[in-house]
Amino acid sequence: MTNNPFPLSKDELLAAYRTMRTIRDFEERLHVEFAKGDIPGFVHLYAGEEACAAGIMMHLTDIDRIASTHRGHGHCIAKGVDVHEMMAEIYGKATGACRGKGGSMHIADLSKGMMGANGILGAGAPLICGAGLAAKFRGDGGVGITFFGDGASNQGTVLESMNLAAIWNLPVIFVVENNGYAESTSVEYATAVDSYVDRAAGFGLPGVTVDGTDFFAVHEAAGEVIRRAREGGGPALLECKTIRFFGHFEGDAQTYKAKGENDYNREHRDCLRIFANRVTSAGAVSEAEIALVDREVASLIDAAVESAKGAPLPSPRELLTDVYVAY
Amino acid sequence: MTPKVGLIANPISARDIRRVVASANSVQIADRANIVLRALAALKACGIEEAVMMPERAGIAGHVLRGMERARSHGEDRFPRLSFLPMPVTGTVEDTRRAARLMAASGDIAAIIVLGGDGTHRAVVGECGRVPVAGISTGTNNAFPEHREPTITGLAAGLAATGQVPARIAFADNKKIEVSLDGGAPEIALVDVAIVTDRFVGARALWRIETFRELYVTFADPEVIGMAAIAGLIEPVSRSEAGGLAVTLAPAGTAARRVRAPIAPGLIEEIGVEGWRRMPAGSVFTPALAAGAIALDGERELFFDPHQQVEIRLVDRAFRTVDVAAVMRFAARNGLLVSHPLAAADA
Repeated sequence: MTNNPFPLSKDELLAAYRTMRTIRDFEERLHVEFAKGDIPGFVHLYAGEEACAAGIMMHLTDIDRIASTHRGHGHCIAKGVDVHEMMAEIYGKATGACRGKGGSMHIADLSKGMMGANGILGAGAPLICGAGLAAKFRGDGGVGITFFGDGASNQGTVLESMNLAAIWNLPVIFVVENNGYAESTSVEYATAVDSYVDRAAGFGLPGVTVDGTDFFAVHEAAGEVIRRAREGGGPALLECKTIRFFGHFEGDAQTYKAKGENDYNREHRDCLRIFANRVTSAGAVSEAEIALVDREVASLIDAAVESAKGAPLPSPRELLTDVYVAY
Repeated sequence: MTPKVGLIANPISARDIRRVVASANSVQIADRANIVLRALAALKACGIEEAVMMPERAGIAGHVLRGMERARSHGEDRFPRLSFLPMPVTGTVEDTRRAARLMAASGDIAAIIVLGGDGTHRAVVGECGRVPVAGISTGTNNAFPEHREPTITGLAAGLAATGQVPARIAFADNKKIEVSLDGGAPEIALVDVAIVTDRFVGARALWRIETFRELYVTFADPEVIGMAAIAGLIEPVSRSEAGGLAVTLAPAGTAARRVRAPIAPGLIEEIGVEGWRRMPAGSVFTPALAAGAIALDGERELFFDPHQQVEIRLVDRAFRTVDVAAVMRFAARNGLLVSHPLAAADA
């Protein structure tokens, strides 16, 4: 009898944990650094939702495209974007993934299939239909994943894109990361029918709801919808019921949350803690191996922040370079 | 004062992976609300004046209240008064459990109408004690709730709750299976317990047939789908007879016998069967598999490791349901829904 009861090898389990830990530490550190006033613009932190990005992205390769959101750091890291370049980008430095001109909400790396975070709610959905159409024409088995939240789910662009993906039978997955709040508005108030599976059914798409704090639930369900899309089965919707530990943006007082809600979530619904407890109690991974990942990730984030702070700003002469695309 | 009837409508049943790996339907929120309205109208027609419902935040209650308001604005008196249990809403199965617990504790709920699949019914039965359940299928596999127009279920629940049909006819006893790990408090299943080689819960549903190893059922009906269908196709066992069935499964490629069974809507698979035997009430069964996951009514809920002791035991007469068919037959034979207005006028 093997000590690993999971559908992933030990190395894959550790890779999944490393991805989630990297996202968590990246976001926790930004929470601290942003308060110092050195980071331009806004940041929207993904902490609490790590199992969604990690569970889905483990099924993807660089030929697969994703379209992210304003809360995109986790998607970037899970898709393989360089953490140093991400941190530099958020600090607005010339060594950033987009040479410091995009910032938190526009990090992109096409070499990794990361089409970009996006400051416009619901804007990733039509983009991913284009990526899906390209993959279908190329016949390379690529798929496209668009992420959006419960707030953006009410945008016309998302609904129109579901229709488009359905009629063209595109290899596209619509992932709703339902953290319960559209900025400060609760999903119960803002969404007439609080079931995204119902919405998908309205366009003839199969939909699945999973516990977004359970890496294995996300990973298993994502594996099925992605496999189906790769094999020509068409689009689907995956709703991950999740939580965010921080506010909508850094500086959000979160007065719309119940007293103690964040503390409860950190204590009982922390996807990293749930994952680590399960894999170590089953004997698949040792606590020492988890601790080693923690230390290595902590060093990585320290180094990323240090190098970002020390990197140069873009030169004024480069103000207009890389901004417009010539066709 | 007439007795009250409870309503528990699960807004999140039928949302799992079987919509992708099989062709399972998804009953939409508006449809669930419409089912509640049909059941409420049926209760009122039987003389029920008050119903109590589990609160939720997914939209069922809003649609139901709008429907009742529309009827009132047209001068129609089609529905009983409806109130909602004072309880927090978590959006999880705990809501169903808490609602069933509160309804049982209130002492004035004569029956609970449940909208959901096997999992929802399991959650209710775990908490409702001797309060009878009237099941309406809005889940995925739904071996437990019989497929029937909800209006009829509402009529039967109303006739039973008001005592117009004697309890010995109106209510049926049902079996359940208890599963305990290391002697702990048992979890229950109403239809089936499956032992699979997966050792994680994940997306919960069962569809990878190569993982199936053991199956224990309270009843084996060849007309149901899900894991119980496998047992139903080799040796039917009715809901009302004592005991159940224990089946040993294996990968189809190595098994002595294969059964083509509908394990999910639209998903008919060849399942390897090594053997089966009757499962008397009270006898303890222990899985041969050293470690794996335990699926209750078709969903992986627990996992066990080699050092853990698993005990599986069938319990007869474990809980009560409204016997809709028996109630409606009694109602027809005794003219419970028949009146003679002209004869009354002549008299």
